[in-house]
Amino acid sequence: MVDESKLREKAAEVLAREDVRRLIGWKRGTYGFEAAPCVIKDASEAEALIFDPTCVQNPASFITLEEKKPVPRGQEADTRKIAVMVKGCDSRAIVQQLVEKAYDRDHVIVLGIPCLGVIDRRKAAALFGDVASQVSAKVDAEKVAVDVGGDVKTVDRKDILMDKCLRCRYPNPLVYDELLADEVEKWAGDEFADVGEFEGQSPEEKWAFWEEQFSKCIRCYSCRNVCPMCYCVECVVTKLQPQWTRRATDISENTVYHIQRAWHLAGRCIECMECQRVCPVDIPIMTLNRKLTRDVKEMFEYEPGVDVEAQPLLASYNPQDPEDFIM
Amino acid sequence: MSAEEFEPNIVAFLCNWCSYAGADLAGTSRTQYLPNVKIIRVMCSGRVNPLFLVNALQQGADGVLISGCHPGDCHYMEGNYYARRRYTLMHKLLEHVGVDPGRVNMSWVSASEGAKFKDVVEDTVTKAKEAGPMEQFRRRRINW
Repeated sequence: MVDESKLREKAAEVLAREDVRRLIGWKRGTYGFEAAPCVIKDASEAEALIFDPTCVQNPASFITLEEKKPVPRGQEADTRKIAVMVKGCDSRAIVQQLVEKAYDRDHVIVLGIPCLGVIDRRKAAALFGDVASQVSAKVDAEKVAVDVGGDVKTVDRKDILMDKCLRCRYPNPLVYDELLADEVEKWAGDEFADVGEFEGQSPEEKWAFWEEQFSKCIRCYSCRNVCPMCYCVECVVTKLQPQWTRRATDISENTVYHIQRAWHLAGRCIECMECQRVCPVDIPIMTLNRKLTRDVKEMFEYEPGVDVEAQPLLASYNPQDPEDFIM
Repeated sequence: MSAEEFEPNIVAFLCNWCSYAGADLAGTSRTQYLPNVKIIRVMCSGRVNPLFLVNALQQGADGVLISGCHPGDCHYMEGNYYARRRYTLMHKLLEHVGVDPGRVNMSWVSASEGAKFKDVVEDTVTKAKEAGPMEQFRRRRINW
């Protein structure tokens, strides 16, 4: 586990540097099982920073949110760096953003944190109910100790951790400038059993499932907004000319929205599961993303967010690509 | 509507340099091919945005055909290689959502393959007939 005093010390040290503008990390949430992401600009604020299994958010989502305003004549653009704390899965988002040249490597200072898993608030709510007090937690290789307002309870890992953590392949950050704790040992593999299971159904069964799920969608676009890979300045779903998808929330437009969203993440999704976490109507969005991740891995032997030197999947090709569906 | 009566609507995106010329050859050599297919000429199969395909299914197509030059023969050197990656994945994604896999078709037809174009169209229409009318996420007119 991370020593929090060391983490704060390091954050203060980084923030004190001349060439650092701000730091993105986590602080304790006001209530419930999730911490709050925070952006701090001054070394004195570093005391608020934490890291424990409540830190589910992906801070890499915030790097690309910054608006790049035109600089008035005679002024210099602010080229100071952004420091960001990342877990293993978050670091893959940074790798993929670097692959896509969203920013330069020296634009960010990555403070890597090896992670043993984070809490799924839906699973936690099933165990603890609605919690109005602040929650902290500790995790090790077997158990999660959850502290709900001073009342400590030990829970089995699989009952409370996010699904992505139970099959985590990259617990250690893949890209970092400094590592804030010792690397942890990998505990799981990913066989994509859930994808295989879903695929076994007939088209009618699949559509019956998705029709129900998509008809719930209220098109709040939370899944798009939270996604670290959805950083287009102008998004295709809000574009009016041409209008690819209408704004009505009927089954037709909702389906097209979700196909579009999954499609735009083909070969880019790094499985941080933020989209599914923030969904207010509990649509299993990752089912679509994981299908594409699995197929990309099988057909093109490509895994996004692992190699900084890689080419983006759909902007490259191999003459030997499979073409078994082509007549 | 019974299966015999159902005539599917097929939208075909044909590349200007090979498949469109192939369809033209089928016409000039008086090959009879099924009239269900509505051809849209594009400059390259790599120009077809995957959203064209989804929007076609949404707006009344029962099947979609994308056709381009054979791999290695692209007029723009590599457009069809990109298209191949894209549609292989798009086909898988639509299948996962529950769209009948027979609705999305892709083929390589060169300018001299008028007879192959006829076969491809027949095949596409047969598959779309088997899949039946596309009702899943067809955009419906709102009846106020």
